Amino acid sequence: MNERLGKVVLRATNLSKVYGEGAMRVDALRPTSFEARAGEVAAIVGPSGSGKSTLLTIIGLINPPTTGSLVFGDRPVITDGRAVVNLATMRRQQLGYVFQRSNLIPFLSAEANVRLALEIDGVSSREARTRARELLDSLGMGKRLAALPGKLSGGEQQRVAIARAMVHQPSVVLADEPTAALDSGRGRQVMELFRDSAHAHGAAVLVVTHDHRTLDLVDRVLEMEDGVLHEKQPA
Amino acid sequence: MMDLAIRDIRNDLSRFILTAAGLGMLMSVVLAMTGIYNGMVVDATVLPDIYGGDLWVVQKDTQGPFAESSRVPALLADRIRAVPGVERTRSYMTLNVQHQMAGGETLRFTLAGLSWPDDLGNALPLAQGRALRQPHYELVADRALGLPIGATLRLGRDDYTIVGVTSGMVSSSGDPLVFASVSDALRIQNDLASEAMRLERESRVSRVRRSELGRDPASLARAGSAAPLPAVAPPPVTAILVDVAAGSDIQQVKATLAAWPDVSVYTIDEQRELLVRGVIDRARRQIGLFRALLVAISAIVMGLIVYTMTLDKMLSLSLLKLLGAKQRVILRLILEESILLGLSAYLVALLIGELAFDLFPRRVLVQDIDRLALLGVVLGLSVVAGMVGLRKALAANPNEVLAS
Repeated sequence: MNERLGKVVLRATNLSKVYGEGAMRVDALRPTSFEARAGEVAAIVGPSGSGKSTLLTIIGLINPPTTGSLVFGDRPVITDGRAVVNLATMRRQQLGYVFQRSNLIPFLSAEANVRLALEIDGVSSREARTRARELLDSLGMGKRLAALPGKLSGGEQQRVAIARAMVHQPSVVLADEPTAALDSGRGRQVMELFRDSAHAHGAAVLVVTHDHRTLDLVDRVLEMEDGVLHEKQPA
Repeated sequence: MMDLAIRDIRNDLSRFILTAAGLGMLMSVVLAMTGIYNGMVVDATVLPDIYGGDLWVVQKDTQGPFAESSRVPALLADRIRAVPGVERTRSYMTLNVQHQMAGGETLRFTLAGLSWPDDLGNALPLAQGRALRQPHYELVADRALGLPIGATLRLGRDDYTIVGVTSGMVSSSGDPLVFASVSDALRIQNDLASEAMRLERESRVSRVRRSELGRDPASLARAGSAAPLPAVAPPPVTAILVDVAAGSDIQQVKATLAAWPDVSVYTIDEQRELLVRGVIDRARRQIGLFRALLVAISAIVMGLIVYTMTLDKMLSLSLLKLLGAKQRVILRLILEESILLGLSAYLVALLIGELAFDLFPRRVLVQDIDRLALLGVVLGLSVVAGMVGLRKALAANPNEVLAS
């Protein structure tokens, strides 16, 4: 095991997702178990429709699984397919999200978008501003704090989105095709940011990607096919 | 927690301002309707308020000069003055006049009589000039008539000079009020051409001859001297106003007068009530219904606006839910925007009222209580509209962020 990696922050056991019944039954995710450690960057690859996004929405506490359990750190969150804690609170405190499109709130500045992730969890405005500025500065966005998302380039928007996903120091960051809208150079920069941020903040980062050019930057590669997850060695 | 509503508004301020302006114009119509209603009540009660009088004595079985036609002999005042407790009587009469000016312009006004010399018009709200000083040929006219002091009007066969100008004195029909002595008003009302007067005299003499000649021996002696007969009967007035002496019981005086077989008696409050509840009741109800309709339309428009504003933000709301924002964050965003929109529209409505209502041809009287009431309605509408948006907002699905 990589010595840099920390303790297990996410443990998924027999997660599955079934849509429909009888002849209409679709096994979007077959029983899947895996763990993610602090500071680890894992890529989930696979063809379209293989169940990658389904897995992401289940781990992201957006979609309930049909079966299985999820534990964040030592805290059971889903047991036998049922939520045992407030999922909104868990999303607010334990999860960070990055998407193919940055999905920043268009009427908030770069700094405010990042601050928001802290303030909705009760962090004071003053502290939230300080932490957001520090993080954006470390991501090279120190001079674009006041810019609205519409005034930022695609790469800049993704950096702000990464800052928003990381600023509240979640245990797990989920990224769905974060480099798909970027050219290869900027895509690689974004993946490096994920890696560096994961290492710096001790978060486990799960990245769903089709972009095989950046797989050398991740610690693990998980391949999804027909709803089944396999471990692969990184290239 | 940062104020998301303010930031959202600031992000597209011009759109917010335009929306608030449009909504404000709609609300200014609600305010105008309220003001027109108030103005109508004030205009309707101007005359009883100015004339006062504890009791109004009118023709038997009529409801008085504001409700229907009433004719009582002017000499009735002498009879009333003999009743214990009566301190003063005044004659009251009004007539509508449409006067053709030399330049072809038509002046329409309501001429009201002042009971000279007991009432010179000192209670009138004079903006310029003075009250009446002479029993004849002087007028006090409202500013709305557009004639200055010193201007003369030829009414009937006489010239009348405007000696005073009032402000805000219009009749219940909206025409400006002009005041003259009762005798002048009666003269103007009953002005007859010489030929008409001669024919009337002949007619009266003929009637007398037919009815009395031969039955009463004394009438034979008078037959040859019919000239002293008046050409026409003394003209009646509309009502007699009675001021009850201090210390006397108004109800007791009223009861005494009401027992007479030829008159009906009302207190001034009853006259006002008849005006507001009777004469302008239909107009009042019409305006009330129109106002209610406008409030309903405003509610629908505002609900649609807030709903549309919410739809525009659905992705952001989904994102907020994905990030784990508490429901109160979303609730505050939607409700605050809705209330700010309502309050901005309210301020626009007030501003329009300040700038435009004085330009209306009839009195638009907006009182503080009306402004407060509209504020309450606006806040209520804002909350209801916010609820419409909120219902949509709370249904936002975090999955939409992933699907976008």
